[in-house]
Amino acid sequence: MLSKSAARAFFLGGTVLCAVAFVGLTVDTLGRIPAQTHQGEITDAVRRGKDLWDRSNCMGCHTLLGEGAYYAPELTKVFERRGPVFIRAMLTDPEKMYPGQRRMWKYDFSERDKDDLIAFFQWIGKMDLNGFPPKPTLAQMATTTGLAATVDRPQIFNQLCVACHALGGQGGQVGPALDGVGGRMAPAQIAAWLADPPAIKPGTQMPKLPLTDGQRQELTAFLSTLK
Amino acid sequence: MKYESQRVAWWFFATCMLLFGLQLVYGLIMGYAHAGHDPLHPIIPFHVARAVHTNLLVVWLLTGFMGAAYFIIPEEADRELYWPKLAYVQLIALVVVGVVAIIGFHLQWWEGRKFLEIPRPLDFLVVVDVLLFIANIGMTIWKGKRMTTTSMVLFFGLLMAALLYLPGMIPTDNQTLDSYWRWWVVHLWVEGVWELIMGAILSFLLIKLTGVDREVIEKWLYVIVGFTFLSGILGTGHHYYWIGTPRYWLLIGGVFSALEPLAFLGMAIYAIAMARKGGRAHPNRVALQWTIGCAVMSFVGAGFLGFAHTLPQVNLYTHGTLVTAMHGHMAFWGAYAMLVLAMISYALPLLTGRKRHDTPSASFAFWTSNIGMIAMTLAFAVAGITQVVLERRVGMDFVTVQKEIEVHFWGLLLAAGLFILGISAYIYNFIRHGKPVAEVQGGGDSGASPPAAEAA
Ligand code: HEM
Ligand code: HEM
Ligand SMILES: [Fe+2]
Repeated sequence: MLSKSAARAFFLGGTVLCAVAFVGLTVDTLGRIPAQTHQGEITDAVRRGKDLWDRSNCMGCHTLLGEGAYYAPELTKVFERRGPVFIRAMLTDPEKMYPGQRRMWKYDFSERDKDDLIAFFQWIGKMDLNGFPPKPTLAQMATTTGLAATVDRPQIFNQLCVACHALGGQGGQVGPALDGVGGRMAPAQIAAWLADPPAIKPGTQMPKLPLTDGQRQELTAFLSTLK
Repeated sequence: MKYESQRVAWWFFATCMLLFGLQLVYGLIMGYAHAGHDPLHPIIPFHVARAVHTNLLVVWLLTGFMGAAYFIIPEEADRELYWPKLAYVQLIALVVVGVVAIIGFHLQWWEGRKFLEIPRPLDFLVVVDVLLFIANIGMTIWKGKRMTTTSMVLFFGLLMAALLYLPGMIPTDNQTLDSYWRWWVVHLWVEGVWELIMGAILSFLLIKLTGVDREVIEKWLYVIVGFTFLSGILGTGHHYYWIGTPRYWLLIGGVFSALEPLAFLGMAIYAIAMARKGGRAHPNRVALQWTIGCAVMSFVGAGFLGFAHTLPQVNLYTHGTLVTAMHGHMAFWGAYAMLVLAMISYALPLLTGRKRHDTPSASFAFWTSNIGMIAMTLAFAVAGITQVVLERRVGMDFVTVQKEIEVHFWGLLLAAGLFILGISAYIYNFIRHGKPVAEVQGGGDSGASPPAAEAA
């Protein structure tokens, strides 16, 4: 039967072999990471953004590249999903964006800090991650309207508004669903509401969003079609 | 207890009990937050609770490993510790650094890198402290009367753990590289060198508790740690699937990490087989219970539940969800928490001279904490799988899904209550054993008297 010295040889041999292979693969990987992660696009802003990401321990609640905690959303594709307007509003006062919901720490970020974090997310979003995060393959089944229906919406609607409002059964549940809103409200009312919700209805949970005039017009036109 | 200097182990174990208890409090804070209640948010927000929970875990486990080494090494080397006083100094230094880190976390002084949150200046102090510890046990082995396989495996496991802490400090601007090196610490610890420590401590306990011949036990120790490194080193690839690293890691990481459960299966079979083989029953049945429990539960938590999400086809969907938390809890519990508790259960009567190992509360602690942990794992599993289906497959919004699974966190808290009851009984038992005042027995091989040596 197996002797102790043979067992030791198995241990030492296997370990050395695998360790050498691992170091070799690491060297190869280190050579490929710059291209796969667009390392050339790491600007000073991205660098400062990463530093803020670390110092603020965002990973203590969120995941990035799927790594971190499971208390708050995955942020790898947040730039594409929510866009800079939403991210900036969230970093300014998170509780305003999700009133009465699970709370995010209110950091004292300067405007430059917010720019830096947005730059960091934009850089992260462009990495080639071998297919992560996966596309939700069952999405079609779950909703009668399907994904195609979201294509004709303004991008800002898909990024910002759906965080709190649902349309066609998809989206958040913080605010009321927006199906039929064009029938309930006139375009002028919608435009005024979007400009400053608390001014129209004091105490509302919807914050004043940092929208540009163009975005507000686009949204008003779109919402008015929802009859 | 054979040597005066082994006594220091008790102080390490007492520190373990304290930090472990504190860890659970922070777990409860996070459990409540997930269930929808975060009244402590202004003082202890989730990210603070989480950093404290996981770092306390790592620190109490390392403290336990050190205590175990200070107990085991003099006995294996057949001499007093080389620098007995240094062991106390080193414990105090570790506690001071730990306390500063925990207070620092509450003031949000940290590095936001999962599991490696300890701020950089403290990192260096940790390394220095661990090196002092390594030097102390290293000199003890070197100057000892014998150099056993068990003590060498333990020594190299601890030494490699200290060295592998270093890659985690390599500075980089690239998030991918940051993760790449972080896994050299986190993965190569728990699925590499810590398994060496685990194998060595288990084999020490099995030699003492079952009386099976050392040669047989140590031979299988080599085989098991051989499998560990054969699978675990390249198995690091299961963390390199989706972080901006080349695609070949899907194949390499998938294949090798899928083999990792073999080492844990080996550990379980080995412990059970040796216990069966051992002729004479050692009076400390509870220590044997924890020893075998550790080997079995580590297979369930690390081996089985690790395998469940290690293949890239599955991991694509479960990566970064509560499924990972499910595996993390059972794996850390089975492999490392139970290991330290097994060691304490064995050493305590010898350190204190009180043979309280047959009390009902000792057995109650074992069963209640294990049933509690299994229930916690199930709660995380249901929450995690629901999250995967709704968020990753159906495409529902994160926040909406979290609302949907809040109820499972009430289940988690209920299970945690049971778990904490068990751990409280364990700590009660620890306290009842009293101070380490046992008489020193002197050299010579004691423990369970071995049955006729048998070569297999
Ligand atoms: C009172 C009992 C406990 C409760 C209620 C609890 C709860 C939690 C919660 C809610 C999280 C955070 C998950 C997230 O990021 O959203 C967590 C993380 C963690 N806990 Fe516990 N825990 C408990 C005990 C333990 C024990 C005994 C261990 C180890 C043996 C442990 C090890 C861990 C680890 C390793 C993580 C990080 C997991 C990961 O990132 O995947 N916990 N715990
Ligand atoms: C005692 C040994 C083990 C412990 C303590 C342990 C603990 C953990 C912890 C805490 C994490 C979360 C890490 C993070 O996200 O930062 C994790 C992740 C993981 N573990 Fe383990 N583990 C062990 C063994 C294993 C084994 C043997 C396997 C495979 C068969 C495995 C497969 C995985 C995988 C695939 C992940 C990544 C999950 C994800 O993508 O989010 N683990 N483990
Ligand atoms: Fe791993």
